[in-house]
Amino acid sequence: MEKFDTPKLETYLKTPALKSDVMTGSGPFKANADMQKSLGFPGKKVDNWQQVAIEKMGETISKYRSLPVFLDACVKCGACADKCHYFLGTGDPKNMPVARQDLFRSVYRRHFTFAGKYFPKLVGAKEFDESMLDDWYNYFHQCSECRRCSVYCPYGIDTAEITMAAREVMNAIGVGQKYCNQILGKVKKIGNNLGMPEPALRDTLLDLEEEIEEDTGVAVKLPLDHQGAEILLITPSADFFAEPHIDGLIGYAKVFHQSGDSWTLSSYASEGANFGMFIGNYDIMREGALRIRKAALDLGVKRIIVGECGHAWRVAYSFWNTLTGIGDGATDEYALQLQNQLNQNYPQPQHIIEYTYDLIQKGRLTFDKSKNDHRTVTFHDSCNVARGSNMGGIENGQFILPREVIKAACNHFVDMSEGTIKASTFCCGGGGGLLTDDLLELRVKGALPRMQALKQSEEKGGVNTLAALCAICKSQFSKVLPYYDFDPFMVVSVHQLVSEALVLDGENSQQESKAL
Amino acid sequence: MSLTSILFTVFFYLAVSLCLVGVTLKVIQYASTPVPLKIPTAPAPLTKFGVILRMMREVFLFSSLFKASKWTWLFGWLFHWALVLLFIRHLPYFWPGETPEILRQTESLRYAAFPLIFGLSGLLARRFFVDRVRYISAPSDYLLLILLILIALTGALMTFAQFYPDMGKVYAFAEGLITFDWSELPSGGIFLAHIFMVFVLIAIFPISKILHAPGVFFSPTLNQVDDARKKRHISDWAFDKEKNSKGG
Amino acid sequence: MAAILGAEVDEEGYLLNIGDWSKEIALAMAAEDEIELTPEHWEVINFLKEYFEEYDFAPAVRVLTKAIAKRLGNDKGNSRYLYSLFPYGPAKQGCRFAGLPKPTGCV
Repeated sequence: MEKFDTPKLETYLKTPALKSDVMTGSGPFKANADMQKSLGFPGKKVDNWQQVAIEKMGETISKYRSLPVFLDACVKCGACADKCHYFLGTGDPKNMPVARQDLFRSVYRRHFTFAGKYFPKLVGAKEFDESMLDDWYNYFHQCSECRRCSVYCPYGIDTAEITMAAREVMNAIGVGQKYCNQILGKVKKIGNNLGMPEPALRDTLLDLEEEIEEDTGVAVKLPLDHQGAEILLITPSADFFAEPHIDGLIGYAKVFHQSGDSWTLSSYASEGANFGMFIGNYDIMREGALRIRKAALDLGVKRIIVGECGHAWRVAYSFWNTLTGIGDGATDEYALQLQNQLNQNYPQPQHIIEYTYDLIQKGRLTFDKSKNDHRTVTFHDSCNVARGSNMGGIENGQFILPREVIKAACNHFVDMSEGTIKASTFCCGGGGGLLTDDLLELRVKGALPRMQALKQSEEKGGVNTLAALCAICKSQFSKVLPYYDFDPFMVVSVHQLVSEALVLDGENSQQESKAL
Repeated sequence: MSLTSILFTVFFYLAVSLCLVGVTLKVIQYASTPVPLKIPTAPAPLTKFGVILRMMREVFLFSSLFKASKWTWLFGWLFHWALVLLFIRHLPYFWPGETPEILRQTESLRYAAFPLIFGLSGLLARRFFVDRVRYISAPSDYLLLILLILIALTGALMTFAQFYPDMGKVYAFAEGLITFDWSELPSGGIFLAHIFMVFVLIAIFPISKILHAPGVFFSPTLNQVDDARKKRHISDWAFDKEKNSKGG
Repeated sequence: MAAILGAEVDEEGYLLNIGDWSKEIALAMAAEDEIELTPEHWEVINFLKEYFEEYDFAPAVRVLTKAIAKRLGNDKGNSRYLYSLFPYGPAKQGCRFAGLPKPTGCV
């Protein structure tokens, strides 16, 4: 394991001095030929890669308006420069959003603009050579596509769009990242990022049912492929496998149990995450969304609800209607069939937080908040939820609803400082396809701004619990918290808090006597 | 007409043509490039009206920049508004015939030269002294600021340091450009330098980062309504893909 | 390709062929990570292998902790304990020592 120094937490977040090339390197592991080919990408770097790359750049620029606008409009004002958690954590100037974009922009200028073609030196236009490709691969895998920079840019320039385009171009020339592409291959073959086959999933769910019944005396079910259920739950597969995610899954199950709505998971579409977004590939992203549409059609459900996963919710909320016609306006027969089948009295899809929040508003859930009295909770706004979606259909609902759900289940809630939450939230450091061990140094350093804010809330507010609603955030925090001398087990799912305080009908009194 | 006058007259039309054609082509490119996905960024408005308010806040107040960096905001905002005021201040020169009363009241706008120079100098100083901004600056970034500063300085010299050109000739020349009734330039190096640099600025508009001016209106993160669940948003190329594939 | 005791591993040190696994390989991997394998470690490794044999997949962490609780006692059936055995994570490090593929995804 490579050694590196964990940054020190100061009393407040400092903008680092530039440390050129401190994060230079060969980037994360590359996808092998099989992984590449399974997604329809070249197995290895193609011989005429420069030509192919420039053509692919031209194609993406002609298909996504964000690209020509963002590439032309930047005035290099530097507003974004100190907003990226990877820059704040590493000091590498190429991790300033504008400098990251410039890796793409300099090639764009060279090949697609008048000034760059005829006066390259004047406007910083550069050729797409080997060393540029190395920088692309390295630094476009040091962006978690969290969009924090876009909030501060006077033109709304979103580096995530550029990163996605760059990854799309690199995949087209046969240079793909192992972590993302291996996972996408598994989704294609098995239906989830883990590669968890149906029997293992079924066994895990039975195990959880057993556990809940042992704990509460109530037979809470976690149905799989239940034909004719009211609700299809699409959740990140990490919820089936990892800690603390799985306690969130138990929380969803308890909420469904209390509501009385029948629900089901799908073994065919057992993944909410959609890494197609991370690599900027529309077709792969659409394929993932269509799997869910098919599952919904086959199971005959009336509602689709998405579990705690940041980018899954962005894809579901912002893109599903475009990709699959889940809501309205689509014309193909499956979309029409789905629109007829789904209950359009509800927004489609909905987030589990919206679902739980509605039940709380209607007074259908009872909580014993004292169960969470040993916790002082703070909430980490996940970047894709905060800056790529909404909840509840009200302005800033994506910030309000999760906090209201937490407060319904906990007596002690403290927010981290302004400027580090809500629209300005800092990424956990592991999003956007970077949650891989070969990027551990980056992940630890990129977590610095969030850790800084957490430290403050620990010292000032006595926070001992960090609630999140994204599988990546939860895994990332579990991993990096110890580097900053926090307890890795302080991370919980929002629905774990719900789960612990929710009073189930017929819950055994043994539980209460234990609590006393 | 003198050769200088002819050259400047030709250069004016050339610069304006380059600007108009170039910007039109760029706007056509932006407008005709599809936006396949809903990507508004936070805080995303849920209605069209909200988008209009957001755009106004960005364009008139530079609200995102204000959140990002107070100094950059101060310099940038002063510079842009001063430029607008000075643009208005210059309109009387070009107004054919009798100058309307309202434009004759613009005399005091000339003081906008000071915030203009202050703002631009601040922005240039940032490029030199803030290491992050220095790192991201290309030669063209410095040159554009220097060009603007020189335009402002030459203008200010004429207005405030008594280096007046023959104002009658200025009016005649400027009006002539608009009415195609060309006339002789006044003499004076400062005046010639001033208008030469302005013409250069106009000419490079569509091939430089000044494209942020039309660009901001096309920025999908800023101009989209956050209503993806309610209303289907789809681009032509994605729609074709859908028609030609068997989904389900 | 890298190898450990002659068995091929991927760039992250996971066996390419599960059939190559042997106790010696597990010991060698543990030595690389500066971990001494105790009987408790072996209980975990053995359970991982058994589960994988049945399901062609590694057990969820919760399934693992419950199994370990049954085998080693309730006080040891929690992930805090498992992390003390496998500091790099029971799922990832445990699977590597057991010769299983690395769990992927948001884990």
